[in-house]
Amino acid sequence: MAEFQIEKREVSEVDIISLHGFLDAHTAPQLESVFTSLIDNSKYKIVIDFQNLKYISSAGLGVFMAFIETIRENSGDIKLSAMQPNVFEIFDLLGFPMLYEIFDTTEEAINKFITN
Amino acid sequence: MSETNLSKTQRNLTGLVEFSKNINSRLDQKFTINNLLLSCFGKFHTTKGFVALFENETLRLIETKGMPASFRDAFPPLPQSPECEITLKSFCNNFSISIIESINSSQNILGFIGLGEKISKTPYLDDEIEFFRTTINIAATAIQNSLMINQLKSLNKDLDSRINRLSSLFELSKEFGQIQEEDRIAKTLMYSLLGNFLTSLYAVIYSNDEEYKIISSLSSKSSLQSIFSRFSFKSFLVPLFKNDIIEHISELSEFQFEVLIPIIHQDETKGVLLLGKKGNKEDYSKDDIEFITSLVSIAFISLENKRLFHEALEKQKMEEELEIAREIQKNLLPKKSPNIEQFEIKAVSISSKQIGGDYHDLIKIHDSKHALAIGDVSGKGVPAALLMANLQAFLKSICIQGLPIEKATETLNNLLTENTSDGRFITFFWYYLDTQNSTIQYVNAGHNPPLLIRNGLIRYLDKGGMLLGVFKSYDSYVSEEITLEKDDIIVMFTDGITEAKNANDDEYTDERLEQLVKAHAHLSADELAECILNDVHEFVKGYPQSDDLTLLVMKYV
Repeated sequence: MAEFQIEKREVSEVDIISLHGFLDAHTAPQLESVFTSLIDNSKYKIVIDFQNLKYISSAGLGVFMAFIETIRENSGDIKLSAMQPNVFEIFDLLGFPMLYEIFDTTEEAINKFITN
Repeated sequence: MSETNLSKTQRNLTGLVEFSKNINSRLDQKFTINNLLLSCFGKFHTTKGFVALFENETLRLIETKGMPASFRDAFPPLPQSPECEITLKSFCNNFSISIIESINSSQNILGFIGLGEKISKTPYLDDEIEFFRTTINIAATAIQNSLMINQLKSLNKDLDSRINRLSSLFELSKEFGQIQEEDRIAKTLMYSLLGNFLTSLYAVIYSNDEEYKIISSLSSKSSLQSIFSRFSFKSFLVPLFKNDIIEHISELSEFQFEVLIPIIHQDETKGVLLLGKKGNKEDYSKDDIEFITSLVSIAFISLENKRLFHEALEKQKMEEELEIAREIQKNLLPKKSPNIEQFEIKAVSISSKQIGGDYHDLIKIHDSKHALAIGDVSGKGVPAALLMANLQAFLKSICIQGLPIEKATETLNNLLTENTSDGRFITFFWYYLDTQNSTIQYVNAGHNPPLLIRNGLIRYLDKGGMLLGVFKSYDSYVSEEITLEKDDIIVMFTDGITEAKNANDDEYTDERLEQLVKAHAHLSADELAECILNDVHEFVKGYPQSDDLTLLVMKYV
């Protein structure tokens, strides 16, 4: 059983990272390495597609915090999109909506980058 | 009551019933307050007003209408007390608020509502004030309900966040059980903390066997290292906040750390954890600190367990290695002393727990010529045992060639020097015993000088040259020949005897050995060897020895 998977695609210089399954302390390193390689390649416009993410733990959320400063310092951003209600609840509980833009659909998030 | 008054009262009542229905239809505080204010505005023809409620026993402005920004900015957060109404009224005097009434629940004051002057600039009439109070009373229940709902919501959120923290604790304890790498553990801890507190500023500094480890979101880890290398972690016993951190460590002022938490393991501070401002801009609460401390403890205990596990593994490996070394050593040493007429020979070898590099040998060159050797290879364990095996192989082949002992020693040294790489060396003493002429010829290559006991006097056999295995040599060893007299005893030993230690860390010493052998020179070789061993045993009183112990006694009888 693949408990966590990451898919990557690119639209108009925006990198879209689709997460599948469970993002927790155990699978966080996988997402970490994706962010590391994006930053290494100076790619700072990132949309996370949560459509297929079933569960996230606070350690999973921590990965977003660990990279956001570097990304914003390089005039980029991590925009979050298409969360399932249970996933959004965790983000909301920990106060993420104050610090991140969260969109209903991935397209909206991508458009926000493009129109900027 | 006149008819106009009656219809006015009727109208008022209808309005109040309507208001009551309306205001109780929703549990939303904002809606309730808004409705209350607007109803009053409509009734009294005013455009200004405010509602302030007590939250945690402090008065907070909830809603204003038509009030200037300066009113909102300067609004005093009054504590709940009998005097606060007077203070509030005097504050409101500056903002043309004409009437202030308290909002009362059945038990206590919920807050205050104030209204500005009427557009007509006429004062509020008594019956208007009465109506205002009635309106407030009706609203009070709705406001109290909405306050309770808010409280419940906040309790619920608090509960959710506690549940979330508990699951974080479970998650990490499970995860730490599976991770082997130290860095991974520290990183997982970091992610969990970053996620829970929405901060991106993080540093853990801890020492691990004198070495500082830093895991941080900061790019300049080296500056943290240089800052903390100047402080003993022991001075951190309780969590520190903001300015206290900088007061302790002024160099940290360039980073915006909000809290410093000591990592305490078995009553000792092993490191510190630093976190930046929380995402919601709130201060770290007591609960937060407890949560962080629990997470850190789980992580640190896990690290500590891994370290202990590795140590145990290493130890086990070492034990196995030692067993091999013990086996090698046992097979190298002569199993029994040779029978030579007129010469008693007794060899004793006791290996320590760690296996040192003691060596002795008795080699028959031909019927009337024997070689007796003792040596101490530097180091312990398998490497020492292997070098000893080399020494024995070289020595045996050299003995066959019948070289003079100086030349033989030189050859032995040159061979060993070629075959040792890591700075090992051997202290070595040996002699040829010529039983026909009753002479010995010896070379001492850096070994503790053996003792020749003759007529109650001691002579040190110290002629020779440098120890074996360090430099190649040419003509650098000398020998000495001694003709033996009856009852001469030669005692060869390793430093395992003279440096044997008791519980007070005192050494047995050369002097004690010399006194003993002088006093017991009348004994046979066997007896003397036993006497020496007994005396050493008595001295150390069971204290475990770190070095091998070898004794080789020869007596001419």
